[in-house]
Amino acid sequence: MQVPNSFKLALLKQMLLGFQLSAVSSNSMSFHERKNAIKLSADAAMVFARGSTRWTRGLVASLSKNRNNDGLLRGILGKKYERLSLPCCNSWKIPRSRKILKRCLGLCSRRKKATGPQHDVESSSTLARRLAKKRIQVLKKLLPGGESMEGFSLLDQTLDYAVSLKAQVDIMRRLLKISKASNLNK
Amino acid sequence: MPVEMSSRRSSSRISDEEISELISKLQSLLPESRRRSMSRASAAKLLKETCSYIKSLHREVDDLSDRLSDLMSTMDSGSPQAEIIRSILRS
Repeated sequence: MQVPNSFKLALLKQMLLGFQLSAVSSNSMSFHERKNAIKLSADAAMVFARGSTRWTRGLVASLSKNRNNDGLLRGILGKKYERLSLPCCNSWKIPRSRKILKRCLGLCSRRKKATGPQHDVESSSTLARRLAKKRIQVLKKLLPGGESMEGFSLLDQTLDYAVSLKAQVDIMRRLLKISKASNLNK
Repeated sequence: MPVEMSSRRSSSRISDEEISELISKLQSLLPESRRRSMSRASAAKLLKETCSYIKSLHREVDDLSDRLSDLMSTMDSGSPQAEIIRSILRS
């Protein structure tokens, strides 16, 4: 699964724009200030390249929580900022998609168990179900905007996000490599 | 009447096919090494591997940001940016 080259290019351009706007190569910044500027540039650039989807809006929402990030966010996102700041409405699809997904992942019980004394040992399928539910909670915290997603949307957005993250890592790696090389030539 | 009956009608919106496609895409997303141990993916396994994959990507971004931060402090501003863009576009 790969992003198109246009995505990577847009990501790179906006990230470098972010570096310029926050003057990362100036001497007046502390290490942490510089690192935060770099991370913010990378994230905003990734959002820009991807456009509007639930996780990008979630990411913009969490990045905007820090007022200090406003300038750089607007600088990188430009006109897209307003569109990306719109609150997400919950899809009507959610209750159904959760049921469907859970059925396919084998997480639904076939029938209601008759009430009776609790079994001391849980069946392995019940344990697997509990474990999967726990991990869904972990995933929701990892995915920007994940708290308000369920079922199919959650996994779909997870895939989308992971693919974009991988591209972000690739670009940063290449940038690091080339910057090192160009630094040595000075 | 089992609850499953009504689900069949509503599944016309998101087909079973779409879901298994999504699950196989998620599997193929994971790096080779993790995938090998998952011949028959259980939901719990897939979710665990996906979560740890995303966490590892987060760590990489953090590490790369550290190293870029180190590097940027020794670079002079201006022309290196253009040079970098040009050489990346060439590669």
